[in-house]
Amino acid sequence: MSSSESHAQEAHGHDDHDDGKVHVHIAPAKFYWGIFGALVVLTIITVKVSYYDFGSANTIIALLVATMKASLVAAFFMHLRHDKLFNTFAFLSAFLFLGIFLLLTSDDLFKRGRTDNAYGTKVFTPTGEVAPGGFQSAMVVPSASAGGHGEGHGEPPKHH
Amino acid sequence: MSAKGGHPNFLQHHFDTPAQQFDASKLGMWVFIATEILMFGGLFVAYGIFRGNDAEVFFSAHQLLDKKMGALNTIVLLFSSLTAALAVRSAQVGKRQQTSLYLVITIACACIFLVVKYFEYTHKLHDGLLPGHCFGHPWFGDKCLDHGGPAQPLSVEGLPPRANMFFALYFAMTGLHGLHVVLGMSILVWVLIKNIKGHFSPEYFTHVDLGALYWHLVDLVWIYLFPLLYLVG
Amino acid sequence: MAAVDIEHGGHGGHDDAHGDPTAPYYKAKTGWKSWAYTLDHKRIAWLYLTAVALAFLAGGIFALLLRLELFSRGKTIVDAETYNRFFTLHGAIMVFLFIIPSVPGSFGNFFLPIMIGAKDVAFPRLNMLSFYVYVLGAIFALTSIVVGAVDTGWTFYTPYSVQTSTAVISMTFGVFVLGFSSILTGLNFLVTIHTMRAPGMTWGRLPLFVWGMYATAIMQVLATPVLAITLLLLIFERFFGAGIFDPKLGGDPVLFQHFFWFYSHPAVYIMIVPGMAIVSELISTFTRRQIFGKFAIAMSSVGLAILGFLVWGHHMFTAGMSEFSTMLFAALTMLVAIPSGVKVLNWTATMYKGEIRLVTPMLYSMGFIFLFSIGGLTGLFCGTLSVDIHIHDTYFVVAHFHYVMMGGTVMGFLGGLFYWWPKMTGKLYEEGLAKVSFALVFVGFNVTFLSQFIMGSRGMPRRYYDYLPQFEPLHKASTIGSWILASGLFLTAYILLKALISGKKAPPNPWGSAALEWQTATPVPLSNFAETPIVTRDPYDYHLASPEELYDGFPEDREKAAAKPKKAEEKAEKKAEKHEDKDDDE
Repeated sequence: MSSSESHAQEAHGHDDHDDGKVHVHIAPAKFYWGIFGALVVLTIITVKVSYYDFGSANTIIALLVATMKASLVAAFFMHLRHDKLFNTFAFLSAFLFLGIFLLLTSDDLFKRGRTDNAYGTKVFTPTGEVAPGGFQSAMVVPSASAGGHGEGHGEPPKHH
Repeated sequence: MSAKGGHPNFLQHHFDTPAQQFDASKLGMWVFIATEILMFGGLFVAYGIFRGNDAEVFFSAHQLLDKKMGALNTIVLLFSSLTAALAVRSAQVGKRQQTSLYLVITIACACIFLVVKYFEYTHKLHDGLLPGHCFGHPWFGDKCLDHGGPAQPLSVEGLPPRANMFFALYFAMTGLHGLHVVLGMSILVWVLIKNIKGHFSPEYFTHVDLGALYWHLVDLVWIYLFPLLYLVG
Repeated sequence: MAAVDIEHGGHGGHDDAHGDPTAPYYKAKTGWKSWAYTLDHKRIAWLYLTAVALAFLAGGIFALLLRLELFSRGKTIVDAETYNRFFTLHGAIMVFLFIIPSVPGSFGNFFLPIMIGAKDVAFPRLNMLSFYVYVLGAIFALTSIVVGAVDTGWTFYTPYSVQTSTAVISMTFGVFVLGFSSILTGLNFLVTIHTMRAPGMTWGRLPLFVWGMYATAIMQVLATPVLAITLLLLIFERFFGAGIFDPKLGGDPVLFQHFFWFYSHPAVYIMIVPGMAIVSELISTFTRRQIFGKFAIAMSSVGLAILGFLVWGHHMFTAGMSEFSTMLFAALTMLVAIPSGVKVLNWTATMYKGEIRLVTPMLYSMGFIFLFSIGGLTGLFCGTLSVDIHIHDTYFVVAHFHYVMMGGTVMGFLGGLFYWWPKMTGKLYEEGLAKVSFALVFVGFNVTFLSQFIMGSRGMPRRYYDYLPQFEPLHKASTIGSWILASGLFLTAYILLKALISGKKAPPNPWGSAALEWQTATPVPLSNFAETPIVTRDPYDYHLASPEELYDGFPEDREKAAAKPKKAEEKAEKKAEKHEDKDDDE
C-alpha cells in the first residue's frame, strides 16, 4: 500500500497529500467579491484616465491597469495563485512568445527606410512621401542631422 | 459516485488516481488557454503595428465607439467572471443548487454582453463603419463585397484617411471575441446541465472548473480589448 | 482501505467495455466501428499512419507531375496555370497533410505512452478528435482541389492570394482546421509527458524520442495558433477586402509574411525534430550503446523549439523588411544551427567504436545524418544575408529544404517504419529487399536534389514554369531522379504491406534493444504492459539491461534454451553481450 502511494508521489506527486485524492484551496466567497471590487475600481480608474491627455503615457497606463486586472483574474478567479507552478508557466510563456512576435515584427515595420534615410534615398512606407534628395550613391557619407532623427514609430516626414 | 474497491466512477481507466486525472485536466486546459492567447495575440500584434504607424488616425476613429457601452460590457464580463468563480467554489463545497444559480447568472451576463454588442454593431452598420471596401457603404450596400467589384472604400465624414483600418481591426477583434463568448456560453450551458443531473461533487468538479477557466479567458481578452479599442489616448 | 490499485493493467470490470487489456491491441475488439470510434492510442496511430501515407502519395503524385512538366522547356504536359496548381498542391499537401502530422500522429501516438510506461495518452477522446479534425481539414483541402485548386504557392503570399480567383478560402480554411488537429496532438502529448510517467521514469530517464515529442508539442501549441489567426485574417481580407495586407487601404503585404512565417518557421522544426527523435532511438539500438551526450541531445531538442521562434525573418530577407530587421534575423539564424550541430556530432560520437549493425533502419539513420548535414549546412548559406540575396527564390532553397525535410525527416520516418514495424504489426519485413529500396530512395533522392543545388546556385528561379536552355540538362536529371526515388518509395510500401499481410512472425525484441517499448509483448497488449512497469534505468543503458530484456528471439525458445545449458550459452554469445555476466543463468 505504501509502495503504491510512493509510486503515485514519485510519478506525479506534488500533492500536499499522497492519497491520490483531489485537494484544492477553497477561498471564502467574500474574497471573490473583494477581487471583483478591486476590478471595478481599476476599470473606473482606467476609464477616467482616458479622458485626460497624458500623451504617450495614456497607453502605458491603460496597459498597466489592464495587466493588473488580468493578473487578479488569473491569480484568483482562475486559481493560479494556489495551483501548480507549471500552469502559471504555461500561461506566461504564451505572453512571452507573443512579445517576441510583436518585438521582432515591429523591428521591421517601424524601422523601415532608416538606413536609406541616412542617404536620403527612400520613400517613407507609411505615407508614400518621397524623401528629399532622390537616389544617391551608397558611398555618400551621411550628414550628422540625417543620421540622428531618432527612434520611434512611423516617423512622419515632417520631422525628417 | 461512491468508490468501488477504491475506484471512483469518474476516474478514467488510463489514470491511476483522481489527483492525476485532475492535474492532467487542469494542465491541458492551461495549455489550451495559452493557445488561445497566442491566437488572439496575433490580432493584438496587427493592432499594435497599425496603431504605431497611425496613432492619430486611431485616436480619431475610436471616438466613434461608445465608451459607455464598452465600459458597461466590461463590468458585465467582470461580474460574470465573479459568478463563474463562485460557481466553481460552490461545486467545490458540494452546493449543487448554488452552483446552478451562479452558472445561470454567468450565462445571463453573457447574453447581456451580446445584446450590447448587437446594438454597437448595428450602429456601425448604419454608419458604414465597416471593414475594407465596405467602409462608407452602410449595411454592406453598393455590392461592396463583390470581389474586384466597383465599390471602393469611401471616406466617412469627420474621419481621416485609413480610418477603415481601425474598423477592420475592431470587427476582427471583437468578432473573434464575440464568437468565443458564444462558445463559452455553450460550454457553460453544458456544464449547467451536467450539474443539474448531479454529476459533480467535492471530489469531482472538473467540468465546472474548466468551463469557468474558459469563461475567464474570454474575460481576460476583453480586459485588454476594452482599453485598446475604446480608450485610445 | 480506499487505495487505488496501480499494480495491474486494468480496473476490473470496467475494461470489458474497452476490451480485454491483455489481448493484442488489434484483436481486443473487432469490427470497423471498433476502429472508427477507437480511443486506443495504438489504433489511432494506425488511422493517422494510413492517412498520412495517402497524403504522401497524393503530394508525391503532384511532385512527379510537376517534375514531368519541367523535364523539357516550354509546355511538356500542362499549361502554366495548371503547373502553378501542381507545385502549390504538392507543397500544401506535403506540409500540412503529410509531414507535420506524420511522426507525432503515427509513432508519437503509438509509442509515446509505451515509452513512458503509461496505458494511454492523457486525453484519449481528444486524441480521437484530433484525428477527425485532421479528416475534416483534409476534406476542405480536397474540396479546394476539386473546385479549381490554388495557384499561390503553399505560402499563400498576399497580395496575390487575395486577388487570385482560385479556391483560396476553402484551402486556407482546410489548413486552419488541420492546425487545430496539430494543436490538440501537441496539447495531449505535453500533458501526457508531464503527468503520466510510470514510477521511476524521471525526466532524466526519458527516451530521446519522448524528448523530441515534447519539444515538438511545445512548438505545435505555441506556433500553430498564430497560423490560425493568419489564415483567418487572409480569409477576412479576401471576403471583406479588409485591407490589413493591402497598401491602398493602409495595410502592408509584408505583415502577412511576418504572420505566416512566425508559425511556419517553428513548423519546419515541428517537421525535423520528430525525425531527429527517431534517429536517436535507431542509433542507440544499432550501435548497442548509450547515446553520447544524451542530456545534450535532449536539451538541443528543447533549444530548437525555443530558438526556432526567433528566426522567422530569414524567409523574408528580400521581401522589403527594414535593414535592421534583416541583420537581426540573420544573426539569430546563426544561433539556431547550434542545437542541430550538437545532435549530429553526438550521434556520430555514439557510432564511433559502437557495434554497428547495418540493417535498413540504421542505413536510413546514417542517410539522415549525411543528408541532414548537407541540408543544414546549406541552410547556413541561405541564412547568410549577403548570399541569400542571390539564392533566395532559386532552386538552391528548394534543394536545401528538401534535403532537410526529405533527406531528414522522411528518411527518419522510413527508418522508424522499418524499425518499429515488428512491434506494431508483429511481423518481420524482408531485410534484403528493404536494403534495395533504401538504395533506390537514397540514390534517387540525391540525383533529384543535388541537381537542384547546382541549378539554383546558377540562377534557376523556383516556381517557374519555363526556363533558360542552360538549365535543361539539370532539370532532366532531377526529373529522372524523381522516378528513381518514386520507385524506391513504392517498393518500400510493397515491402511493408507484404510484411503486414504475410510476413514472418516477429519476436518481442528482434533488434535486442534495451528501450522500454521492446520490453512489452509483441503484439502489444491493449493496456500496453501486463503490469505497470517500474523503471530503474535509462532506456539506453545496455550495461544495466538484463539478458532477458535484450533477448532477440522468442520467449518460448528462450525457455527451451534454459532447459539446455549449452545451447543457452551459445545463444548468449551470439547476442554479443560482452558486458553481461555469464553466470546469470542456472
